[in-house]
Amino acid sequence: MTLTREDIAKYPFLTDAAEEVRRVNLEIQNLDNPEVESIVKRAAERIREALENNPPRVSYREREEDIEIPSFPVAIIMAAASGNNYIKRRYALGEAIRAYNLLIEEERDKILEVAETFNWRIRRVKDTIGDRRFDFAISFIDYLRNTRPFHEDRFKLVNKPLLKGEVYLTKREVARLLREEVRRRIEDKLNMEIRLELPEKLLNHIEEIKKKYAGDSEKRIFETPKGTFHEAFPPCISQLFSAAKSGQHISHLGRFTLTSFLLNIGMKIPDIVDIFRSSSDFNERLTRYQVEHIAGSRGSGTKYIPPSCETLKTHGLCPGSETCGNVKHPLASYRRRIRIFKKESQDNISGHE
Amino acid sequence: MNNISFIHDKFAEFYKENASMIKPPSNISKREFGFFTFKENVVIRHKSFLNVEDLRNYVKQLVPSHAYYSAAYYEMPEESMEKKGWLGADLYFDIDADHIPTKCRKIHDTWTCKKCGFQGRGVAPNECPICGGKGFEERKWPCEICLESAKYEAMKLLDFLIDDFGFSPHEIQVSFSGHRGYHIHVENEKIRELDSSARKEIVDYITGTGLDPAYHGLQGTPHGRRVTSGPDMDEPGWRGRIARGTHEFLLSATKEDLEELGLRKKIINEIISRREEILKSWEKEGPWSLIRGAGVEAWKRIIRKAIESQSARIDTVVTTDIHRLIRLPNTLHGKTGWLKIPLSANEIEEFDPLSSAIAFKKGEVTIYVKEAPEFRIGEETFGPYRDIKVELPMAAAIFLLCKDAAEVAD
Repeated sequence: MTLTREDIAKYPFLTDAAEEVRRVNLEIQNLDNPEVESIVKRAAERIREALENNPPRVSYREREEDIEIPSFPVAIIMAAASGNNYIKRRYALGEAIRAYNLLIEEERDKILEVAETFNWRIRRVKDTIGDRRFDFAISFIDYLRNTRPFHEDRFKLVNKPLLKGEVYLTKREVARLLREEVRRRIEDKLNMEIRLELPEKLLNHIEEIKKKYAGDSEKRIFETPKGTFHEAFPPCISQLFSAAKSGQHISHLGRFTLTSFLLNIGMKIPDIVDIFRSSSDFNERLTRYQVEHIAGSRGSGTKYIPPSCETLKTHGLCPGSETCGNVKHPLASYRRRIRIFKKESQDNISGHE
Repeated sequence: MNNISFIHDKFAEFYKENASMIKPPSNISKREFGFFTFKENVVIRHKSFLNVEDLRNYVKQLVPSHAYYSAAYYEMPEESMEKKGWLGADLYFDIDADHIPTKCRKIHDTWTCKKCGFQGRGVAPNECPICGGKGFEERKWPCEICLESAKYEAMKLLDFLIDDFGFSPHEIQVSFSGHRGYHIHVENEKIRELDSSARKEIVDYITGTGLDPAYHGLQGTPHGRRVTSGPDMDEPGWRGRIARGTHEFLLSATKEDLEELGLRKKIINEIISRREEILKSWEKEGPWSLIRGAGVEAWKRIIRKAIESQSARIDTVVTTDIHRLIRLPNTLHGKTGWLKIPLSANEIEEFDPLSSAIAFKKGEVTIYVKEAPEFRIGEETFGPYRDIKVELPMAAAIFLLCKDAAEVAD
């Protein structure tokens, strides 16, 4: 792909980052140079924009290539040096959204070029399937890699036209997938070890940003309340729980789901072992071992969380209830139900008519 | 002589002569191997072999009841799970009659209450009707109908893999599992690194999980009261499957079938009384706007049936598990004494597992059969038997012994 200066300013992640960083490193040592100073200023601003806007969004300054281009690698160095995961994630997403907004304005061939620099197996098509027109066909492998964090139904592979290994997409959809590719690439870059001697002025900028925004990262995590609220179990867990209690056969994944769920809401290991006691082939030692394994006190030490709603659906463990609403995880469903129950009981106490 | 040592000796004889048939996976040194033994009934895992000769010799000496290898490639296959260093995994599908609700299961599958010994047929109940016990010994029987329906599911799966996912038939290895189903194995550089969540999307595609017909051409008026158009039968992918499945279903749906879907009476009557017209409509734009009173929701219910018949019933856990152990081709299955037989994708239609998978072709032995439904081995049919001493060809005898339906007579 032959990139114009304008292209690089719009999509700075397309150039060789290592070389760019090396070059910039030389320059940032010389912060007294006013030209360099404005680059650093813009770099800090890129990060600020990502942190201030919601959804995070970095702006694009037309016809300012001399600053737009080098400020990107500097911003990468700064965000990485912050060592703060919230800043890194927000910044990566901000740059990705910036790229998306620019891409949807581009000609299809430009989009194709960008995708090809990422080694996607993609081609331009002008096909109509049913009465929908598609602009691109992309290998289902590249498709799956770049829709992994998407949860919308319309991005599920089963809801896409898939022919001979290619998913048919519109221009806008390809731009959306590119956004994800860009986000992931930038995030990977930000997680690389930074071993540069950074000038003090730059470090001060970073500290300032951290002080101002990183406080936000301590997002209030909803604590799962102590105790086990059976009435707040989501339907999948209720079903597994009563099956276990009555000694019915439960699939391996079902046992895993139930056990990891109960552990995560704070139930103690011996109490969980007891639940499986009525199973006719109950073996205390083995059950205890398995429960401890899931709790992370054995083996790899990984503490497991239950599978997501999507996974439970795939394996036929989701009874499909409307009471779950838009929840994506049984633990989230549980917390939500507790909040609702609490609110209802408060309402009762205060005596609403 | 007890059953286990008899079977063990026969397996030992077999491997002595035929271990050279064992088909190694590609990149053998990067795979983990696992075995079940007869006598101690233990699992041996985290084994690895540098070459196929070592593997064959090991099987010859160990005489396992089951032999497996990993779908995954590891840097160090002998290490514990956490230290193996996962490099990738082939894509695997398992189709087992267990996942197909065939009617014959009520005839040949049995369960025995572990508490009181009461026996019944079909799938075990939650509770024993006699003593209320909850544990059952289940015996599943690989009958011809079950094997045929597993084959049909495998063929549907092959269509998905070739037409939709674009794999070429030479990347796909089909095998008869040696018991009640088929394994389908895709080996392709590009799919090796797919993580579990990508494989889950593949599973959802093949099982039609989360499918919304609105994305496949089912269009209606803004409030969905009327459907304006739908997919055609000759279209590719799920569009065509939805149309063909709907066509098939409406062709033969009884009043009860339609009631089961919760359709309104008026719609049911329309479908039944206008079957001819519906059938003819497929020549043009399909019946989507033909049935009065049927809006988007009603059609979605009908399409659910289409998805059910057109999807392939695969074991969802096997495909999404990127550390799965898979039975080694051309080894014996300890529950049948049959072989896991590899075949190519275009052979499956003609394939007869009950002839091709037979390992023990010589000799006869007298056994005492407790109970067995009728079964076929090769061209010969045996049984049904109940409490009877019979002399049987080796393959038939080993099969019943492996199924624990018989004992070696002295």
